[in-house]
Amino acid sequence: MLKHFFENKIKKQENMYVVVIGCGRFGSQMANILSDSKKDVTVIDQNKNAFQKLSPSFGGLLLTGDALDLDLLEEARLTQAQLVVVTTNDDNTNIMISQMVKELFGVQQVIIRLYDSEKKEIYLEKGLHVICPSLLSIKEVSSILKDDTIEAMIEGNI
Amino acid sequence: MKQKVLLIGGFHKTYSLAKSLLGRKYDVVVINKDYETCLTMAELKSLKVIQGDGTKPYVLEEAGADSSSIVIALTQHDQDNLVICELAKKQFQVKKTVALLEDSRKTDFFYKMGVDSVVCATNIVSGIIEQQAFIDDMMALIPIGNGKVHISEIQIQNGVAAIGKKIWEMNLPDEVIICCILRQTQNIIPRGDTRILEGDILVLISDEKHEAEAIHCLISR
Repeated sequence: MLKHFFENKIKKQENMYVVVIGCGRFGSQMANILSDSKKDVTVIDQNKNAFQKLSPSFGGLLLTGDALDLDLLEEARLTQAQLVVVTTNDDNTNIMISQMVKELFGVQQVIIRLYDSEKKEIYLEKGLHVICPSLLSIKEVSSILKDDTIEAMIEGNI
Repeated sequence: MKQKVLLIGGFHKTYSLAKSLLGRKYDVVVINKDYETCLTMAELKSLKVIQGDGTKPYVLEEAGADSSSIVIALTQHDQDNLVICELAKKQFQVKKTVALLEDSRKTDFFYKMGVDSVVCATNIVSGIIEQQAFIDDMMALIPIGNGKVHISEIQIQNGVAAIGKKIWEMNLPDEVIICCILRQTQNIIPRGDTRILEGDILVLISDEKHEAEAIHCLISR
């Protein structure tokens, strides 16, 4: 019993702690997968109903509230997070949250979803990992078409 | 050449700011998302108005952000103001960026992100209202340095214990100085041995935390 407890504890310490901010289609699926792969996950969303998108097997914590609020970010124990995924439906909110997460809480790895690929100037320098759905789709299309020139053009863009 | 100022978002503040800047011969451009607001703004003579989302790089470009010397972000959303200032700074090399901020706890964060000047309006306004409502003896208050330092005016009324005392006798907190005494038609720059008289108006510069203590010290009976 005791052995089991310790094993569990050690296992827990090794577990990666991930915070997902914004529980939309992308955020919720990401959280499901992270939770299924035995990571400690906290999901934050403004709207309680958004959590319905999580699978029944989801074993993480849920936090309802505005992620721009410093109190809420503190409640999410961000200083202990190894990875934060920022996927609210507003680009500017995502940018501000990810910068706060990096600067104020010192999280090493921050992944941010931006719809607008034009706002690259901001994120290039801040060292954030940016996912841009439209660019990804174009990439996919170019790989279906097997046309390298398109891909090269996007690479230049990113 | 006229200096160009870009104002993004906001309504009442933007309108009065635009008016005042135009009066001071600046070249002013306003960007606003809302069409009705743009129409109202456009009534100001020689003001350029652009309808669009000021957080989008191409809108800022159209407004001539690269040739602007000052960009002021006045939207209601902190995140939008931050992005506007960052874009202005990074992409358009604007010299001075000013952001309006709702949540005062993020002031340091905004400065860290490279915004040149952060104005936390809610903080300043609530501070003034609080002072006006609770301290009747104070006549004016100007917060400076992000509201950390206050300049205030206090009138010495009949029967106050401070009357006739020298300033050094007053036991004022160290963080407060009386920088000027307005006595009838005179303006006196006081020294430690200047006496306070009835009817004097004292101009104080004080740390926000010690202001109330100093005022109490000066007006107690």
